[in-house]
Amino acid sequence: MFLVPVFFGITLLVFSIERLAGDPVQLYTALNPHINEAQRQLLRQSLHLDQPIHIQYLSWLSDLLSLNLGFSYSGGSVAVLISQRLWATLELQLIGLTLSLIIAIPIGILSARKRYSVLDVTITSSSLVGTSIPIFFLGVAAILIFGYNLHWFPSGGFQSSDPSRYLYHNLLLDQAWHLFLPATVYTFAILAPVVLLVRSSMLEVLRQDYILAGRASGLSERSVMYKHGLRNALIPIVTYVGLYFGGLLAGAPVTETVFNWPGVGKLFVDYTTQLDFPVIQAVVVIITLMTLVANLVTDVTYAYIDPRIRLE
Amino acid sequence: MTSDRKMAQTTLEQRPAGGHRVSQWALAWRRLKKNKVAIAGLGIVGIFIVMAAFDRLVALYPPKCILGVSPACQLDGRLHSNSPPGLAYPLGTDITGYDVYSEIVYGTRAAFLIGVGATGLTMLIAVVIGLAAGYFGGWMDNLLMRLTEVFLVIPFFLLLLVFLQVTIKLAPANTGSIWLVVFVIGAFSWPGAARIIRGEVLRVREFEFIAASRQIGASSYRILFRHLFPNVLHIIIVLATLQIAASILTEAAVSFLGFGAPGSNTWGQQMYNSANYVEQAWWGTLFPAVFVTLMVMGFNLLGNGLRDALDPRLRE
Amino acid sequence: MPWILGSGSSEVSALPDPLLHVQNLRTYFFTYAGIVKAVDDISLDVSKGETLGVVGESGSGKTVTAQSILRIVPSPGKIVDGTIEFEGKSLMKLREKDMQRIRGKDIAYVPQDPTSTLDPVYRVGEQLSEVIMRHHVISRKDALAKATDLLRSVEIPDPEIRISQYPHELSGGTKQRIAIARALAGDPVLIIADEPTTALDVTIQAQILDLLKELKNRLNVAMILITHDMGIVADVCDRVTVLYAGQVCESGTVEQVFEKPKHPYTQALLTSVPNLALRKEKLSVIPGNVPNLIEPPSGCRFNPRCPYAQQICIDKVPELEPIGEGRSVHCHRWKELDLKSPVAS
Ligand SMILES: Nc1ncnc2c1ncn2[C@@H]1O[C@H](COP(=O)(O)OP(=O)(O)O)[C@@H](O)[C@H]1O
Ligand code: SF4
Ligand SMILES: [Mg+2]
Repeated sequence: MFLVPVFFGITLLVFSIERLAGDPVQLYTALNPHINEAQRQLLRQSLHLDQPIHIQYLSWLSDLLSLNLGFSYSGGSVAVLISQRLWATLELQLIGLTLSLIIAIPIGILSARKRYSVLDVTITSSSLVGTSIPIFFLGVAAILIFGYNLHWFPSGGFQSSDPSRYLYHNLLLDQAWHLFLPATVYTFAILAPVVLLVRSSMLEVLRQDYILAGRASGLSERSVMYKHGLRNALIPIVTYVGLYFGGLLAGAPVTETVFNWPGVGKLFVDYTTQLDFPVIQAVVVIITLMTLVANLVTDVTYAYIDPRIRLE
Repeated sequence: MTSDRKMAQTTLEQRPAGGHRVSQWALAWRRLKKNKVAIAGLGIVGIFIVMAAFDRLVALYPPKCILGVSPACQLDGRLHSNSPPGLAYPLGTDITGYDVYSEIVYGTRAAFLIGVGATGLTMLIAVVIGLAAGYFGGWMDNLLMRLTEVFLVIPFFLLLLVFLQVTIKLAPANTGSIWLVVFVIGAFSWPGAARIIRGEVLRVREFEFIAASRQIGASSYRILFRHLFPNVLHIIIVLATLQIAASILTEAAVSFLGFGAPGSNTWGQQMYNSANYVEQAWWGTLFPAVFVTLMVMGFNLLGNGLRDALDPRLRE
Repeated sequence: MPWILGSGSSEVSALPDPLLHVQNLRTYFFTYAGIVKAVDDISLDVSKGETLGVVGESGSGKTVTAQSILRIVPSPGKIVDGTIEFEGKSLMKLREKDMQRIRGKDIAYVPQDPTSTLDPVYRVGEQLSEVIMRHHVISRKDALAKATDLLRSVEIPDPEIRISQYPHELSGGTKQRIAIARALAGDPVLIIADEPTTALDVTIQAQILDLLKELKNRLNVAMILITHDMGIVADVCDRVTVLYAGQVCESGTVEQVFEKPKHPYTQALLTSVPNLALRKEKLSVIPGNVPNLIEPPSGCRFNPRCPYAQQICIDKVPELEPIGEGRSVHCHRWKELDLKSPVAS
């Protein structure tokens, strides 16, 4: 299990960045100028600042592991702040990733099958162009057009702030209405690399001898393409998608700022501006944790779909 | 033993540093020329190089010229702030009254600086780690690859933001320097490239002339830089080209979020400065984004073309 | 024999009981670097129950010929010209759907390199029964039983265990037997075995060859045996077609060709097999390389390596000339050369 050391390495890194940034109490005071010396003393104790540095780290770590995330400098429980926003992040990321896979797989297969055709060249070149279009261009343009200009969709947010303005007076419909534009744009923003990946994985598999052998045995095109082709291509696809998801999570600050989406990414941007370390640390740790979980899921799936490494 | 040695030496000599390689590069160039998409990428990059080199000529106004206010751009003597694209300013003006087009042109140099600077650092780290891990193998390989995996999992973009904010708050003297952004991007972006270079070294290491030079006791340094490096150079070129695109994209995202160097004039910074007025004056935000996209596209298309041209195994 | 009338070329030696007739086949690969003329005017015939050896160096177009017959040439390859007739009907004109019914059922293929011809993610039983069910109306359960029988018929020990194993759990020799079993799944009349022994250990090679001979006799199935080893030809085949750089050098019965080779390349091949028992011997002893197939040498493609080459060999492409007794030769000078066989008794 190599995930565990990675996790601890990252907590150490996060912790040191805070302590290198200076005296937390001073930072805290900067944000809350009105606090008195007694309160500062209390804070010093609660952060174990009177102890040697490794004890500070260990107590911080044990707090973290017992999900005791503490309070942000500006007041408010970090655990509450995060739990309110985690769902919004997961919703957008998972929907975007799932939809892009659903769209990319058939397109990638088609492109691989019709290799060298006009269709293939078109798909490949537009995907190459697509990988270069940043979310802050596509997202902002989409919001300008469909939000500000056409008023088809709200220009941001997770739901209407005022319950009386819910779409058809229904919270779920209102949330869906808010989700539609970000989810659609996000799906297209992250689609292109997946198409290229599916295409290249399929091409790699299609040149294998067992594909030729399947054809030579008279198997139908569908069986050759899907039962043998796609099934084998899934192995690299799964691996890559696990890594890709980690990258997408790290990009959440940009995505969520563009769509004004109240997830942990937006939270992170807001609190990093204030250098509010308890929140910063918690978000970094949670996103790392989610990345590690994604990798773990990848590994398990991998072992499941590839009999060569299936665990006994 | 002596005959062994003789053989090894002839194998070495049969592989002149120059001749053979040159023809490989010429071959790759011929393949690249046939690839229309790659040539389009090269064209885009070329246009941007011209823009950066002759920015004063390409721009309409001097840098930071407030239209209608600054002496160099008086126009009709009325402040042109957040004005939509028009004859005097093809891409509109921003809140301050700068010509969006001219400022974009002046941002090109910064984009190259960021792309090339961060990539230089990234590739330096990646090459050292990749070569060392692949060549020495054993515990060294193990250690370096574990380290690489840690860096792969780190949400580096988040740490980048924290890092920059900390320096802005703690060392305001450095504020305004994009070198810090360049340095941090460069220092964190190497893991993917290091892994690929290591893989290539493992493959190349089996070539007989390298085995031979090892046998005759050539120094590690010599083998690494005279034999291994030239043989993984093509991969490095491809990775570097793609990394330039990635670095530019990262800086733009960082600045767009407001964590860039406030005094710098990068496209991302321009987007950030106009973001609050995106409803009234979308051109201030969107046009710099278009140029980020174009430049990133140029390098991505070129990089992919180079990959196909330099690594013909990938394409018949 | 309608194909004789239909074909444009001069008289073709009529074999008894024709099964497969390939004429003037051309298969090119349209690549970035140029058009690779991998198969460029190849003709060959197979009669019922007969074993034809197809010999040539690596890169001479043996595999592409086999793939062309089955119409499974991978992209960017295309059959650009030629006739392929099987049991009197033209395979070139069949729709893909009908061609699928011929592949694996009438004509089976044992691909090169047994290590990679089985799909790594499915069990052996699944892969065999998939082919069985494709060609027979049969339940899954019966198909699995038949798969076990097939494994038994190719002399694999413990077929009940093998059936539920994955390819990576098996040895190269076992994989090759399974590939042969899969070829038998549709009860074919013609099996094309592409270098069935090349990737295997010497002892296993002999076992696989014995198995092929045994199957040939037991099932009376015709076979095209692709190899670069004249020793195997002598051991297993009835007739032989020698290929060089995508073209035929000569065809004839094994006795004719070994006793009296008519083409300089065949003669060189035979020289490189000093002792027929020594199967390890490679063909590479002939000086020079297989030519570039994008811009092949003008005239006779063998001329840069041919010790008998003259001006005409550079100026003019030779015809594949029928020379009686069912033989044909592709050389300007065969008559005057009157070559000696290095292996004739
Ligand atoms: N997929 C392909 N793309 C391009 N060229 C190919 C392809 N497959 C085969 N060839 C070319 O066709 C020629 C004949 O190959 P092949 O039939 O595999 O030779 P053999 O089986 O006799 O060793 C070779 O020169 C090879 O380069
Ligand atoms: S045609 Fe000429 S070059 Fe070709 S095999 Fe005959 S003699 Fe040799
Ligand atoms: Mg072959």
